[in-house]
Amino acid sequence: MNRSILITLTASLMVVLLLVQVPCCAGSEPPIAISYDRDVRPILSESCFACHGFDAESRQADLRLDVADDGGKASRVIIPGDPKASELIARIESTADDDRMPPPDSGHPLTPHQIDVLRAWIQQGAAYEQHWAFIKPVMPSPPPINSVDHPIDRFIQAKLLANNLATSPPADRETLLRRLSLDLIGLPPTIAQIDDFLAASNINADTAYRQTVDRLLASPHYGERWGRWWLDQARYADSHGYSIDNPREIWLFRDWVVNAFNADLPFDEFTIRQLAGDLLPSSTTDDNVATGFHRNTQINQEGGIDPEQFRIDSVFDRVATTGTVWLGLSIGCAQCHDHKFDPISQKEYYRLFAFFNNQDEPTLDFYPAGIDGVLIKAELRAIEKHIERLFDECIKEINVWEQSRSKDHLASLGSSVREAISIPGDKRLASHKLALMQASSQLPENQLSEQEIQTYQQLRSLLAATVKTMVLKERKQPRTTTVFIKGDFTRPDDEVTAGTPSVLHAMERSKGALNRLDLALWIMHPDNPLTARVIVNRVWQQYFGLGIVETENDFGLQGVSPTHPELHDWLAIQWIERRWSFKELHRLIVTSHAYQQSSFESAELRKIDPLNRLLSRQNRIRLDAEIVRDVALTSSGMLATKIGGPPVYPPIPDGVMSQGQVKREWTSSLGTDRYRRGLYTFTYRNTPAPSLNVFDAPEGQSSCTRRMRSNTPLQALTLMNDQAFFEFAQGLEKIIDRDGIVLAFRRCTGREPDATELAILARFDSLGAARVLLNLDETITRE
Amino acid sequence: MKLAKVDPLQESTRRHFFSQCSMGIGSLALSSLLAEVQMGYASGTSDTLAPRVAHFPAQVKSVIYLFMAGGPSQLETFDYKPKLNELSGQPIPASFIEGKRFAFMDSSHRVDLLGFRPQFNQYGKSGIWVSDYLPHTAKIIDDLCVLKTCKTDLFNHAPAKLFMNTGSGQFGRPSLGAWVTYGLGSVCDNLPGFVVLQSGPRGPRGGAMHWSNGALPSSYQGVPLRNQVDPILNLSTPESITAGQQRQLVDAVRELNLKRLIETGDQEIATRIQAYEMAYRMQSSAPELMDTQQESAVTLSQYGIKDAQETSYARNCLLARRLVERGVRFVQLYHTNWDHHGGPTENLETHLPAICKEIDQATAALVSDLKQRGLLDETLVIWGGEFGRTPMGEVRESTGRNHHIDAFTMWFAGGGFKPGYVHGETDEFGFASIEDSAHVRDIHATILHQLGLQHERLTIRFKGLDLRLTGVEKAHVLHGLIS
Repeated sequence: MNRSILITLTASLMVVLLLVQVPCCAGSEPPIAISYDRDVRPILSESCFACHGFDAESRQADLRLDVADDGGKASRVIIPGDPKASELIARIESTADDDRMPPPDSGHPLTPHQIDVLRAWIQQGAAYEQHWAFIKPVMPSPPPINSVDHPIDRFIQAKLLANNLATSPPADRETLLRRLSLDLIGLPPTIAQIDDFLAASNINADTAYRQTVDRLLASPHYGERWGRWWLDQARYADSHGYSIDNPREIWLFRDWVVNAFNADLPFDEFTIRQLAGDLLPSSTTDDNVATGFHRNTQINQEGGIDPEQFRIDSVFDRVATTGTVWLGLSIGCAQCHDHKFDPISQKEYYRLFAFFNNQDEPTLDFYPAGIDGVLIKAELRAIEKHIERLFDECIKEINVWEQSRSKDHLASLGSSVREAISIPGDKRLASHKLALMQASSQLPENQLSEQEIQTYQQLRSLLAATVKTMVLKERKQPRTTTVFIKGDFTRPDDEVTAGTPSVLHAMERSKGALNRLDLALWIMHPDNPLTARVIVNRVWQQYFGLGIVETENDFGLQGVSPTHPELHDWLAIQWIERRWSFKELHRLIVTSHAYQQSSFESAELRKIDPLNRLLSRQNRIRLDAEIVRDVALTSSGMLATKIGGPPVYPPIPDGVMSQGQVKREWTSSLGTDRYRRGLYTFTYRNTPAPSLNVFDAPEGQSSCTRRMRSNTPLQALTLMNDQAFFEFAQGLEKIIDRDGIVLAFRRCTGREPDATELAILARFDSLGAARVLLNLDETITRE
Repeated sequence: MKLAKVDPLQESTRRHFFSQCSMGIGSLALSSLLAEVQMGYASGTSDTLAPRVAHFPAQVKSVIYLFMAGGPSQLETFDYKPKLNELSGQPIPASFIEGKRFAFMDSSHRVDLLGFRPQFNQYGKSGIWVSDYLPHTAKIIDDLCVLKTCKTDLFNHAPAKLFMNTGSGQFGRPSLGAWVTYGLGSVCDNLPGFVVLQSGPRGPRGGAMHWSNGALPSSYQGVPLRNQVDPILNLSTPESITAGQQRQLVDAVRELNLKRLIETGDQEIATRIQAYEMAYRMQSSAPELMDTQQESAVTLSQYGIKDAQETSYARNCLLARRLVERGVRFVQLYHTNWDHHGGPTENLETHLPAICKEIDQATAALVSDLKQRGLLDETLVIWGGEFGRTPMGEVRESTGRNHHIDAFTMWFAGGGFKPGYVHGETDEFGFASIEDSAHVRDIHATILHQLGLQHERLTIRFKGLDLRLTGVEKAHVLHGLIS
């Protein structure tokens, strides 16, 4: 590469090159080595593969550019070492609209710099490489850096040093404690915790910090915080979705996830139970509850629909979600045609589809501990049979009794009798029949004792209190799976059997037909190059705002390369070696200096690295929607800390529930359920609670692997005026009256106010000051 | 997509900072900070509603989309098919329906043609056919561009409405209004960029998903304006708080946030400061907007509004005009229910004429009003539902028609669409197009084009794809429709 190329680099590109440790701008220019994977593939993928890539169907001019050897044609357009003779260069440089590639109307024109990169690549021999994410990671050794111990910091600082940058100083202790607390348990520290931490830090800062990490990881709120992270990916919500959006009961799955995080269930087991808990050799009720992961698909209850169409749609969703969540691949793209960018054929898509095509979708009755549901049902059935037999014996008398009732007398009857009368004879249940016999005094003496009746009512209320949850259950008779032409379920094509994409590691053959358990084991197989990388990246993203791979849901050819590939691989392998323990992964990351450094920016740094991809500082991150609520609840002393249980209904503005197709009631919870963490708020997919929705909480329409962080006037209106937030302000008002403004400030921000801040707050009465505190950017931000 | 940003910090806000900042920060530091914001390095922040430059210059600034939820019958309104009356009661030739799928296939679907009741006449200089169910619309027919050959892919309400709004039958995709606001930002600094108004017996099937932001930031979500004390959720200051106290709150929050901005250097705080200012302005501008009593008696009667505070389609039309006057980018009205299957509350005998009457006068008044105020050129008015109805009848208690996706009518007014013009032709029964079929994605591409947005370039990276409104199949701008 020559000087002219360097001169054309734009500012942002400088950063890209900095990131890849290219020595640039030096006096004597060593040639820059172009890497296919890092430099060339992203260009070709963005601008060329749609017509000259993996998908044979849409391939133009019989030309492939995604492989070195396409059977001849590519070798004519790319002459290694000779860009001038390469038709590819001639065509991308052409000034004639009908000759230039990509075509002007493609919307993907090449920049002069991209053309330079392609030319330099051909000049250097046009070598192709296998895409990094499809190669199994190999443990790199952290580069040696003077007086830096933590391996993460050695990777980070080596790159910073190469770019003449340094890390920032550690964040101050109060900021650090609040950061750690919000990141690990999603709640701010209490005043006592802050004071303790400051005192302990004065003795030994490192010990104090490590002990705090231990304390927070052992907190039951840890599972709530990180469980929510997983529930985003599981597209969890409490309603069926589509147009009718009826409520559903699947919160036991939510609790299962929270508990799994608290128990630090290793990720391989965590995965296997969710994908195939029903197929485990000694499957427990809990394992079945876990299969709720893939029951978080939507169910269409609209009239006139074809149920098979929507069953197939939910299978499409399961394939796409599995691909996104565990493999970081947009497998769903191959539903209608071969993938345009990644080497996944349409047939391979339907082989994955086959794993998810053999389930029934039942609802599981979940009984409280110590209760045998099967026994109860049997007992109940026996009494019901008895009642029905007795009823049949006196049916004539009952009919006569029923018909001879006057209107007034009917109105005077108990509600259970009136209900029984309102139901046509052939639809009456045993409970109705019993009520009728009792009311008409037709219940034969000595046939059904008072005690039997009592037992009957008790059993019924026990069963009524049974919690239900939606699960997957493998069918005995498998369905036939075919390719669907263009993804249209009315157009079946070739039959396929279950299998996995050939670009990834091979599947170990088991006896008999493959099922979801085989798929889960395949995903968690040590040879899988993707899953560990994908998940550690998404954990990293929670701590720094962006992942090491920015495209956290696309590790395919269209994805962005990792900024720190060695660190990324090191983390993935470390995590596996630590038995897939999330808690160990968190400990590893939060004990690094990279995590603990200050998030303050300088204008100078911002110019060099505007997105902070090199991590010369931490990032300020606006809190997740639920945690915005949780922080206000905690600061105002109102938080109800109960963990788990059915979803709750905190106050929402009037009229929200009339925005869906079906108008619904939302009766605000009273008592402590009004003040539960945001995680427990009932989520209707179509009409989610506005205070969560405006802060970008996902609605469970599809898997969400990274939340957006918008910053809008509606958020301001929510914090200022929403009834719930006003109640929090009233709570904080009482605290100000009791403990003073300084303490209230600390409850919200974790730090002491300075004189300027106190002077501004002094303009207000307690309620006014409380409202200011709850509206501060700092209060809803993790610094 | 990267689009240039324009003036991220409003002039007035900046002056405000200088005049009212009471902290001990040197004006030098502050001015350089604000200059930096001004220069646009804040473009990495999430001030998502800042106005943006279109892909190419365009005249149209705002859109009013009158969504007739349920699927209005083209055969009783604009698509005049005398043959249908001649052959009423006879089966449609088998060649028309072979291999087709319909909603409610198993139950009430019929193959017998059903005649129509209204009288059709030609109106205006253009001589376009309109039924006598829409007498007011007939009077403005020379301003309308009628597209008779709309075609969609999905025949159940919710998916079809989603398809019309988001280009996909799947839930969770960005809607047209969100895309437009994403592409162009908003020039209105005291109202949301995308506003939704509703009338009729119930909400549209699918609810708020029709104005979803999907994969776009939530600031592009349609904001429902309601005819209540709080037209926007949480708009009102809590009861015990005075307007003065609210202003003090906003001022103090701004001062403390600005202080934190200087300490941390985080430009997101600048965006949050602006968001609070806009929220505060909305608290007065939204009630002002809703105060239709300001309108003259003549205007109110032109729209057919009896009570200036009523909740009706007519008043929503008037609000739509007031919104675009104030610079709101995208206004969508939903009116239910157009689902005339022939049941006891949804038949062709009484309910279709009734709902036509509900919308006719106000719709025509809206177009005339915009024209009179010189706003029609820069405003695009769209009228249509999620699909049309079958020429075959459904006979339940009374008569109706089933959902139909192959050919149905929409119209456009203003926004550079050809006035007094009919595009496309359907066969003798109005079953399918025989000329110039216009798929939903073509309609979307054309609407975006009129706003200066090239549909292939208006994208967001989502799950490995460049997601766009018009989807993956080739879409065409319908140049025949635009002048």
